[in-house]
Amino acid sequence: MCMVKTQGLSRHYTFGSGNQVVALSDVNLTVASGEFISIMGPSGSGKSTLLNIVGCLDKPTAGDVYIDNVKIDYGNAGSLVQLHRQTIGFVFQGFNLISTMNALENVWYPMYFNKVPKPERIKRAEELLESVGLSNRALHLPSELSGGEQQRVAIARALANHPRLILADEPTGNIDSGTGKKIVDLMKKLNKEQGITFVVTTHDSVMANNADRVITITDGEIVD
Amino acid sequence: MIEAFLLAMRQLRTKKVRTLLILLGISVGVAAVVGVTSLGEGIRVNAVSEIEKSHDLTLIEVSPGVSNGNIILITESKVRAVREYGSVVAPYVKDAYVTPNKTYFEANGISAEYMDAKDLQLEAGMWFEEGTYQIVLGSDIGEKFAKIEGAEIGNAIDARIRLYGEEGRAIDKDITFMIAGRLKPTGTDTDDQAFIDMNIARELTGKDVYDGIMVKLDKSGQTPAARTAIEKLGLTCYSAQDEIDSVNKIMNAVTLVLAFFSGISLIVGGLMIINTMIVSVYERTHEIGITKAIGASELDIIRMFLSECIIIGVLGGILGDLLGVLFSILIDSVGRPMLVAQLGIADFEHLTVINIQILAAGFLISLVISVIAGIYPAWRGAKLDPVKALRQL
Repeated sequence: MCMVKTQGLSRHYTFGSGNQVVALSDVNLTVASGEFISIMGPSGSGKSTLLNIVGCLDKPTAGDVYIDNVKIDYGNAGSLVQLHRQTIGFVFQGFNLISTMNALENVWYPMYFNKVPKPERIKRAEELLESVGLSNRALHLPSELSGGEQQRVAIARALANHPRLILADEPTGNIDSGTGKKIVDLMKKLNKEQGITFVVTTHDSVMANNADRVITITDGEIVD
Repeated sequence: MIEAFLLAMRQLRTKKVRTLLILLGISVGVAAVVGVTSLGEGIRVNAVSEIEKSHDLTLIEVSPGVSNGNIILITESKVRAVREYGSVVAPYVKDAYVTPNKTYFEANGISAEYMDAKDLQLEAGMWFEEGTYQIVLGSDIGEKFAKIEGAEIGNAIDARIRLYGEEGRAIDKDITFMIAGRLKPTGTDTDDQAFIDMNIARELTGKDVYDGIMVKLDKSGQTPAARTAIEKLGLTCYSAQDEIDSVNKIMNAVTLVLAFFSGISLIVGGLMIINTMIVSVYERTHEIGITKAIGASELDIIRMFLSECIIIGVLGGILGDLLGVLFSILIDSVGRPMLVAQLGIADFEHLTVINIQILAAGFLISLVISVIAGIYPAWRGAKLDPVKALRQL
């Protein structure tokens, strides 16, 4: 079973001055269902671009992406929204919680867009916070939480709509290494217990050591 | 949907000062429109009630009609036809007379029905006796006669009427009337008229048609139907409703123009909302990026911002109506004494009138402007590129 497959994926940026920058060039990547893969590479190598395109936040210049063996139609905004709502969860380096909402609200917000009835969504959000060990922090605003706690809330949020694929962009990048290890363990646990596929970009060797497979990208190309 | 509003409400609460300022902006505009419209409405209501006071709304004055260039005269048969439509139907003739001292006056040749229809009441003396050259004067003309002619009740007064013979030759006829009585002042055109027996008047002029009919109805609500029926006979009708209609027409136009100019401040309010919402979209760019990543569609984002605008519109409408009522009370309490003093007119109850239509219009204007003003910023937010939005902090 193949969760993610890219075929000849390229992404060029053209700037006003006419300069073209190649962020990704002919990337062919296959991620099996239930796999935990780690993408490494220096800054600006195209890791985030790859993640954004697979996560349907950005469009490729050329090539195709298949998620769950279905080719993504980047022109069909409705289908992309459905992927965000049902299949893909995001975890970011900067946590990206909504600052005016408390932890519980941040976790149920994706279910709000997925039209889950309110009582059900609050119940699930409470369960998710408990599973990441933050029940006692449910009513705190992000600014009242530590970096590690915020990232755990973000992971709980990513899990909200039962995604089968979680894309994490340097999830431990803004956290000290001790807390980072806990985040890695949490993600591994979700991968093992729930079979969620993880694609994680990282500079962190702990993360890389825990991955089923490590892929390295340099200058927009996969170098194995 | 309710939840969208709750979330929007929360956004607005996090920026209280800004929200309060936009609310003030839009509600001042609404208040100006409400206040000015209430002034226009007040003037209209006062004018109409003045007309109703000095005119009998159950009275229709019928005069000869014109149809295809032919004059339709009021013949006996027409009078018989009109009798069907009124509870009192009083035909009359009307002629102009002049005294040797060149005082012109109009004498109506009337019957008892006419007195009834117009509710004529004597102040002094008595009514003319039928078949005699006795005359009853309206209060103004009576005063004029006393002053210029020195003729009081019981005195005789000479008058001349000019008639036209078969070849258009003028024939003057001299008559001597005896002043029998004087009417109470009414404040209407009756005060300037004199009244004689209809048979005498017709004998003097040799007319075989009437100059008009007074039609009195039981209720003012019957007027339009009776009027339409009489107009079908080819005759012309006049009732106080005509004046009310024309006052309504003029005041509606005036109010519309005033409301339009005072509504210009609403454009400013609308621009304020556009500006504030654009700033809000800019500030929340990062948040919009996040919501897109977690499954918000473009429509969800548009809904998010428009919900805020709807709340602003509703609150602005309510606040605007409240301020508008205050503004209207202010115009009334300051403007009315000033008008009364300046124009030297009798005091009246209210200069401004607030009704549910004015308030509903104020509320709707606020809502519509807020939503229209929100469309562009909301659309801009919805179209943000999520990758760029997420990168911005």
